[in-house]
Amino acid sequence: MILEGVGRRYGPRGPWVLREVGLTLPAGTLTRFTGGNGTGKSTLLRLVAGVDAPGAGRITGRPARTAYVPERFPAALPLTAAGYLVHLGRIQGLGGREARARAAEWLERFGAAAHRDAPLAELSKGTSQKVAVAQALLAEPGLLVLDEAWTGLDTGARAALDRAVRERVAAGGRVVFVDHDPRRLAGEADAEYVVAEGGVRRAEPECVVAEGGVRRAEPEAPVLAQVRVTASGGVHPPPGIEGFATELPGGAGRLTVTVDAARSDEVLRTLLDAGWHVEDLRTTVTAARPEDTARATEGVRG
Amino acid sequence: MTALLRYHAALLLRSQRWLAPFLLYAVFVGIGVQAGEPVLGALGYAVEGLVPVTAWAVRICLNQEPSAARTVTAAAAGPARAHGAAVLTATGAVLLVGAVAVVAVTAFGDPKGASPLSAGAAGLLAAAVCVLTGTAVGALTTRPLIRSRGWSLTTLLLASLLALVTTGSPAAGAVSALVTAAGPGTVPYPWPALAGAVALAATAVTLACRTTARRG
Repeated sequence: MILEGVGRRYGPRGPWVLREVGLTLPAGTLTRFTGGNGTGKSTLLRLVAGVDAPGAGRITGRPARTAYVPERFPAALPLTAAGYLVHLGRIQGLGGREARARAAEWLERFGAAAHRDAPLAELSKGTSQKVAVAQALLAEPGLLVLDEAWTGLDTGARAALDRAVRERVAAGGRVVFVDHDPRRLAGEADAEYVVAEGGVRRAEPECVVAEGGVRRAEPEAPVLAQVRVTASGGVHPPPGIEGFATELPGGAGRLTVTVDAARSDEVLRTLLDAGWHVEDLRTTVTAARPEDTARATEGVRG
Repeated sequence: MTALLRYHAALLLRSQRWLAPFLLYAVFVGIGVQAGEPVLGALGYAVEGLVPVTAWAVRICLNQEPSAARTVTAAAAGPARAHGAAVLTATGAVLLVGAVAVVAVTAFGDPKGASPLSAGAAGLLAAAVCVLTGTAVGALTTRPLIRSRGWSLTTLLLASLLALVTTGSPAAGAVSALVTAAGPGTVPYPWPALAGAVALAATAVTLACRTTARRG
């Protein structure tokens, strides 16, 4: 499956969210996309899954059976969990009997067998997410697209999804995923891409190796995430972030800004709007519990 | 496609969202048609109500999935097919309702010399014309072409009305043929209007299906 010069924007005059994206997704591979909030990861996944059509370029070779798992699946549909899965199985080309058997099997694998006859609208957030994941795996798709699909799943179901992903890849499927947790399937992805500034580039292998060796805060511990942005190409720090910016030595027009992760999107937008070019984006995570305060680099994007 | 139609039909039936348009239509026919009245005129009245009812049903079917579920269906079946199946589900449901209405009106009306069978057949053809016209109206005034709820409803109602009064609209042609024929007793079969309605609905639905992936 190949993406060539793919671009996407919302509205005929809107700014391009993604531009000139070119990549290959060979059969039997696991591909990870990373990048900050609002960089276009979800937009890219929707294009890969075929939910949205590219505004420029083309995507060829998408397998006939494609399945997508959204991050949140608040499906207020008037169907039971098993009923929904059987419908989706049939839509993906299974026969009725097979769809029923697979629906039961996958609910069981994710530990949701007890909810098979519960109306979707009454399911907890976690169980809804199990249904969303089961729906995607029912028909053994040739392309599986997971947009933060692990979010909301309990530990057992997360491990079951990891196993299912490995099975898909081993069976020759393509699996594409985004997850905020850098340890998710760490070291197993055949290719890792960074989505930033409307483009996609291959992550540098050194960074991936470095990530594996760094000690991290426990996921349950409250963490303070900060983002350090390095930018160049501008003249003056744009209004609104002068207070946070530090000009860098070694040539005019370079600066770094360190802000809370929650404000990073706003700062990035301000910089980009003012004509700055973002060179580097690092997230640093500091555990709030002092004994865990190992500063961990979550993602180094050179 | 069958699986998609079953899925959308199950959603429509179980959500009970069909109740409002179909009950309103039953009231519309019940109030406007009296037993013993000339059958062709009564049929003309009964089928014209199908235009807004179909447009409304199409709108219901296109909006009955929450966006996460719509994305899942679109990935599994392709966005254009998923969109088309939702529209067709509504068209099929209203065709059934329209057929029941035509049979009931024909049974209680006064044929005035025409055979009930040919009057019923003309009524069914006219019902199909109105349902297809309503399908076009619904497909053009709902997502992805018009997204805002207020504009969507306003244009849906206005377009339904225009489809019934504008000369040249297939629905207007089929209805007026039935109503004007109510006098002399010859039964009009609106074949040209049917051909026009098929072309109109096909164009509108194709446009909506093609746009859905582009405007996501």
